[in-house]
Parts: sequence; C-alpha cells; structure tokens
Amino acid sequence: MRGTAVLACLVVIICGCVCALLVLCTGPATGMGQEVKVKELVENSESYDGQEVIVEGEVVGDLMIRGDEAWITVNDDPYSERSLEEGGDFAGLSNYGIGVWLPRQETEAIRVLGSYKNHGDRVRVRGIFHRVDHSHGGDMDIEGISLQVMKPGYPIRHSFSYWKLALVLALASMAACLAIVWRRRIGKTG
Amino acid sequence: MILKPSREDIKLIGWAIGRVILGVGLIMAVPLAVSLVCSEWNVALDFIIGMLACVVFWLVTESFCRTKKDLKWSHGLVVASGGWILAMIFGAIPHYLSGHFRSFLDACFDLMSGYTTTGLYLLQDLDHCSHGLNMWRHLLTYAGGQGIIVIALTFLFAGTAGAFKIYVSEGKEEKLLPNVINTARAIWMISLSYLVVGSAFLWLALLREGMPAGRGFLHAIWLFMGAWSTGGFAPQSLNLLYYHSLAVELITLVIMVIGSFNFALHYAVWTGKTKEIYQNIETRSFTLTALFGTLVLSLGFEKLGLFTNLTEFFRKGFYNLISGHTTTGSSTIYSVSFYRDFGFIAMWAVILVMAIGASACSTGGGFKGIRMGILFKYLRGEIRRLASPESAVIAEKIHHIRDIWLDDAMVKGAMFIVICYVFIYFVGGLLGVLYGYDPSVAFFDSVSAGSNSGLSAGLTGPLMPAALKVYYIFAMWAGRLEFISIIALFSFGGALVRGKKGRKR
Repeated sequence: MRGTAVLACLVVIICGCVCALLVLCTGPATGMGQEVKVKELVENSESYDGQEVIVEGEVVGDLMIRGDEAWITVNDDPYSERSLEEGGDFAGLSNYGIGVWLPRQETEAIRVLGSYKNHGDRVRVRGIFHRVDHSHGGDMDIEGISLQVMKPGYPIRHSFSYWKLALVLALASMAACLAIVWRRRIGKTG
Repeated sequence: MILKPSREDIKLIGWAIGRVILGVGLIMAVPLAVSLVCSEWNVALDFIIGMLACVVFWLVTESFCRTKKDLKWSHGLVVASGGWILAMIFGAIPHYLSGHFRSFLDACFDLMSGYTTTGLYLLQDLDHCSHGLNMWRHLLTYAGGQGIIVIALTFLFAGTAGAFKIYVSEGKEEKLLPNVINTARAIWMISLSYLVVGSAFLWLALLREGMPAGRGFLHAIWLFMGAWSTGGFAPQSLNLLYYHSLAVELITLVIMVIGSFNFALHYAVWTGKTKEIYQNIETRSFTLTALFGTLVLSLGFEKLGLFTNLTEFFRKGFYNLISGHTTTGSSTIYSVSFYRDFGFIAMWAVILVMAIGASACSTGGGFKGIRMGILFKYLRGEIRRLASPESAVIAEKIHHIRDIWLDDAMVKGAMFIVICYVFIYFVGGLLGVLYGYDPSVAFFDSVSAGSNSGLSAGLTGPLMPAALKVYYIFAMWAGRLEFISIIALFSFGGALVRGKKGRKR
C-alpha cells in the first residue's frame, strides 16, 4: 500500500516535470522567444509588452552607433523580400519596421543597409519588445539580445530606362518647336 | 445675370497659370541636381521629363494666351485655385515615374499633400526611395508652405499690377511691404534664413546621434523642410521615431512652432518689434489653445497609465499634440498608436488642436489663431453687452501688428471660414464612417486632411477607397486655399457653361 503511494507520487512528479518542460519549450514568453511580424507587434502591443520576441527582416536606413550600443531599423514587410526598386509588387503599404536597440558588437556583422541603391542584410533579431520603453523616452522598440545575419545584402541593379530617354527627346523636340512658334508670335505682335 | 467669361479672360487666366507651372518646373531643378550628384540616373530622367512637360505647357500658354489685360480679383482667385490643381498634375509626373505609386491618383494625392503642407502620403516602400525623390517630396512642402503662387510671384510676375490679386487668393492677406512682389521675396528671405540655421542645428544633432555626415546633412535639410513648412514629411517610414533622439525632437518642435507663426509676425520681429510676439492675438490664441489641449491630453494619459514620466509625456504626448496644433504632422509614434494606445480623450485632444490649427498667412492650416481670437473677443463682447446697460457702447479690439477694432464684417468673415472648415471635417469624417472605419479614426484623418496637419490614425494609406482619396485631395486643397478661391473657381466654371455673353463695347 505504501509502495503504491510512493509510486503514484513519483508518477505525479515526473508528469509535472514533463509538462513544465513542454511549456518552457513551446510557450510564448520563453527564453527562446517567438517569431512575430512587426505589424502584429504594433497592433497588439499590449499583449506582447515585455515578452521576448524574434523578428526577421531587412536592415534599412542607418546604423546609429551611440556609445556601446546602436540603433538599427528592421523592416519585415513584403518590400524587405523584394523592394519596388527591384521590381517587387505593390503591397498596399509604405513599410513596416521597428527600431532595435542592440549592443554595438552585435551590429558588427551588418554590412549592407537597405536604401534606394542597396537591399539590406536580412537579419534575425532576438530581443525584448517594449510597448513603452522607459529607458528611451517611451519609444515602442525591441531591446535586442542577439542578431544573426541570415542573408547578406546586395546592390540593387537599376537598368537604364531607354523609354524615359526617348520621352525626354520627344518632349525636348516639342519644346523647341513651341519656342520657335512663341518667338515668331512675339515678333509679330511686338 | 451671370456673364460668360470672355475669350480674353480665359487667355489671361491661362497665361498666369502657365507661369505658375513654369515655377513648378524650375524648382524641379533642385531634386534633379541631387539625383545627378547621387548618380540616380533614372530618377534624373523623371525630373527632366517633369521639367520639360512644365516648359511645354508654359510655351503653349505664352504662345496662345498672351494678352495685354491685367489680372482682376476674379482672375486672381481662379488662377490660384486652378494653378494649384494643374501644379499638382504636373508635379506628380516625377512621383508617378518613380514606380512607388500604384496609380496616378496616388501620386496626385501625395503632391497635393506636399503643396498644402499636409504630410499624409500614399507612397509605397518609402525606405527604398531615392534621394532625388525624397528631395522633391520635401521641397514640395517647403515651397508649398510659402505658397506656390509666392514662388511664381518672386521670379515670374515682375511688373504685373494684378500680382496682388493672385497673392491674396492663395490664402494670404498680409502685405509685409508695400509692393506684393517684394512681400513675396521677403517671405522667401525669412524662410531661407531659417533653413540655413535650422538645418545646421539638426545636422549637428544627427551627427551626435550617430548618423553619417552625408546622409545626416540631407536628413537635416529634409527634416527642417518638413518641420518649418508644417508639412511633416520625413525620409524614413518611421517618421521622427526613426531617430530615437530627444535632441532632434526638441529642435524640430521649435522649428515647427516658429514655422506656424504668421509671416507678418516674423517680419515684425525681424524689423525689431519683438514685443509683437507677446501682444499678437495669434501667439496668445495659440498659447491658450495649446495649454488647453495639453490639459485634456494629460487627463487622457492619466486615465491610461501608459506613459508614466515627464519625458514620455513630452516625447509621446506633447510633441504629437503640438505637431497636430501647428498642423505639421511629424510623429514619434506609430499611426495606429493614436487609436490603440492614446485612448479616446487624448486622441480627441489631438483632433481638437488639429482642427484649430496654426496662424493665418503662415505655412499652417486649420481655423487659424486669428479667427479663434476674433470669435473669442466677439463672444466676450456679446456677454459684456448683455451685462451692461442698454446705452453702453461695447467695443472689442484685437492686436495683430496693429490694434484693430472688431466689426461685424470681420466677425462674419471669420465665422464663414470656420463653418466651411467644420463642414469639410464633418463630411470627410462621415464618409470614413460610411466606409466602415471607426468614427474616431475617420474623424481624426478627416480633420488632419482638412486642416493640412498630416497625422494619421491609420486610415490613410494606398488601400483606402478611391473616393476617399479624391475627397481628401479636395479637403487639403480647399483647406489650404481657405475656400474663397475654390468657390470662385466653381463659379467661373458655372459661368463658362451657363453664363450669358456680355455686349462688346
């Protein structure tokens, strides 16, 4: 009878440990963080506030180094896959990005920043999401823990637009003809 | 009896609009130079096409519309309102060719938003935009802030006696100097001087915050243009939130407040009349309404418990409130945060100050401080009259550069414009609600468009219904020109269709 009770206790303890392990591995606010889109973060900021999250996207704009830390902006909208400058499709929005405050050494792997001429490095950032970051004047941001470059950035090739050149020539010719007409009319009327 | 405009009237209007369009073409030289320096060849072609289109239009009007008649009031009003529409269409050419707009309507929306210093935009993938296009976006707001008619007057209307009529038709009544062309040039001198000083401060701040010198320089100029013109455009999609900088926010806050002041006040201060700052009805009115807005905002924030210290209140609350009040539209939060994080009271505090807006004859929009002052003094006079004996003579005066006694015509004029603003705010809000948006969001964006503010609660975007885009274009245009020119343009159109021919002398 005593042996059965001990066995039952052991089974309960083992089940509890397994459940706790499962929760730790799959739960939303674990040490590993969950992958989430910036749009989802911004629109449901209250539920993600203070949680560890993972954001994957393109680094755009500037790397603003401030002492031992740095600010980067990570966009994870459709243009972070293929921008309009590369012939990407219209997604019906401007951009969706978020500021990430990281230790400076974490940003050293970043080589290319997204702009008109470049598609920025694709990075995977793990960090704590703040709805109101009290150490940064209330900014909505991610306090980054680690950054991993998933795919290096590259220069965007802008092939020269010959049809635009043809349009320039056509308009210039039209302007020249009109300028002649104008001079003649002025000559006539004085 | 409505008289049909004569052929000479149409030619005269065409000739003057041609000059305005030439002015638009000339200012495209600046983004063209930027794109050439930055080796953005396709972008440079976009601007050359835009410039040539403007030159072709100007040559057509110069060749076929030249007349010896001078401009009258009715012509001036039609030139101002019609000129803005055509300037929007021609200015949208480089926008559309950039490939960042789904339709020409979207490009026109951004142009009107730029000229009217609103700051709402439908441009897609802003973070991959060229420097040339960004320069054009910001230059639009800077030029539009002074008034595109002012640009044309500065360079292209020398010696025209009717110039004053189109100057006034652009919603500016102040004559800083006896000659209107010199007034236009004085407006430019004031703006360019501030551009140099303001951009220098912003550049230093951006360098301190870790931006590289070259990009920092361009961003400084663009941020200045966005703040001074009360336009609110920024080169990155996160707007002011991108910089995470108290220094940049402080400097832009000062610039947007100065930019929202009346050019007559600037000129008075420049010429040594510094007391005018404290005495002017518009600065007093702005201070009072800003204080009231801050009070309501703090009540709203108190209820939320989200922004818990003074720095956060300043950077996330006060900054956006003043940005709305000066009708700038620079923002340190995400658009949806107005709706999701500000709460009802704080959100409506921003709507209220946006509706009131900045000063008359400034770069800003809204009811304007002077009208708020006139209506307040009128109400005070009426209350005093009721409380006084029947034989008492009660008179109220306002101080704007000089003391002005209030009369019925002045009060009626102010009331008419305020009612027109309320009407366009209301219709836009109602349209938004009919399209299924939340009433607070619909009214927020409608007031923002009508008052040329540019803050958005998330309604404005490339996927919004086309009818709303068209209405917002109308609201921005009508709000910026303060309705009279728009009414004149529609009357002119009506007279063309239904008017009767006058007798030839």
